[in-house]
Amino acid sequence: MGLVEKVTEVLYEVIDPELGINIVDLGLIYKVDVKENNDVIVTMTLTTPGCPLHDSIVGGVESAIYFLDEVGKVDVQLVWKPAWTPEKMSDKAKTVLMG
Amino acid sequence: MDGLRVNKKTETNIKLPLSFIFFGLVAFVVAQFIFLMNSGALTSGAFRIPEVLMGAHFLLLGWVVMVIMGAMYQLVPVAFLTPIWSEKLGFIQFVITAVGIIVFSVLLGWKINLTVYGAIILIIGILLFLFQMIMTLKKQEEKTILTSFVMAALLCFLITISAGLVLAASIAFGTSFNYSAILHSHILLGVAGWFTLLIFGFSYKLVPMFSLSHGFSMKGSGVAFVSYILGLAVLLVSFWTDFGALASVGWGLLWVGFTCFCLDIREILNKRLKKGLDRPFVFSLLAIGYGWLIHTAIVILRMFGVQDEHVWSWLIFLYIVCWVMFSILGYLYKIVPFLWWTFKYSNQVGKANVPLLKDMINEKLGVILFGVFTVGTLGLAIFGIPQLSFAVTFFLVVMLIASIGYFVSIVLVVKK
Repeated sequence: MGLVEKVTEVLYEVIDPELGINIVDLGLIYKVDVKENNDVIVTMTLTTPGCPLHDSIVGGVESAIYFLDEVGKVDVQLVWKPAWTPEKMSDKAKTVLMG
Repeated sequence: MDGLRVNKKTETNIKLPLSFIFFGLVAFVVAQFIFLMNSGALTSGAFRIPEVLMGAHFLLLGWVVMVIMGAMYQLVPVAFLTPIWSEKLGFIQFVITAVGIIVFSVLLGWKINLTVYGAIILIIGILLFLFQMIMTLKKQEEKTILTSFVMAALLCFLITISAGLVLAASIAFGTSFNYSAILHSHILLGVAGWFTLLIFGFSYKLVPMFSLSHGFSMKGSGVAFVSYILGLAVLLVSFWTDFGALASVGWGLLWVGFTCFCLDIREILNKRLKKGLDRPFVFSLLAIGYGWLIHTAIVILRMFGVQDEHVWSWLIFLYIVCWVMFSILGYLYKIVPFLWWTFKYSNQVGKANVPLLKDMINEKLGVILFGVFTVGTLGLAIFGIPQLSFAVTFFLVVMLIASIGYFVSIVLVVKK
């Protein structure tokens, strides 16, 4: 398994505490890049600008990735463009939220 | 992906909002106790005796204003994406405002001619808060309609406390001026201006957030803002000119503003992704419905020329409790668990299994308490208008028990 896949896998452990759904299924992770020196750059968003869980989730992403021994530095880039839309959610997340 | 990076720290030291909120909770219980001790006066409609004024100011300043200040210290940084200008000033402001509220409210009840001295301390605290918020909001990069609501609310708050100081000075020094107009302006801008505009503004942020709504327009927000502000202005003119027809126009404009706000909230909820809403949040949404019904009742009473001061006093009571207080009671069940969760578990996200926000508070107890508050409030209004003293006392006991239960339920959050 490559480092990109490993990083994506650990991000399933980061749960949005308001919704009870992990951030990958919520569609918050846009891109995971790994540099040659194993530094990781995660580009992600939140469901809305001004989310009170802003710092907690970004911090959670960093902590989860640092769990992987082979990772160098972690840089989480939070972006609002493109904005999050419900279509970015997985079917599993949609089922949990919408029944 | 060329999106703008927005990695900014927006968390406030939780001791700051929690200090305000816990002071507010104690004041809430104290206010209910004072009301119970003065049930006879409340039953007979003597709302302006010193003891009742003391209870009312413990409720409005000690509970509602302090909780709103605490909530703003937490919400403004996240909603406006800008950190609080000075947390140190926040703590200083907390101490001064808390002392000011206690001194002012107690003097209102026991030495009313000295209230002006309490008012001066209180006003220093409030001015520091207003300064803090203006400096914080100035740093916001992109102004929104939420900014307009909050700025207008802060302006109303400034005028409210200025009018309050004039009232206190008139009691202390016996100055002669249009006392009635100032008193009515004080109540209107304090209750409908400051509280309502603030709840409007933050609801436009919080309702979509808690319901995970997407694709809504907020097209009524501009009309809601302009109409409500115009309504307040027209009512102020009517107080100062004693021109009754203008008051009807003013209340009508407030109704239009409130209705536009309600229609926006309805659209937000219709477009929500989260089908099962949290119960405390539903209670805050119900408060919006109560607020609309009260605005409608006021317009109808104006149309039929009902002038009975007793009826209007109970309507103001319902406005404060069912709309303002119930909104706060519901939102606080979301805000306090969030604050404590952030403090205790935020740095464990991604490392260990952390509880969800809804695990932080006993929602079932909340549902019971919200039900008891609703029954207590309706009981007070139903039996208060025909002045049935035994029933009023009974429902004041109900409100006191509910407020103690609510206090305990919030304290239990910080035990988790």
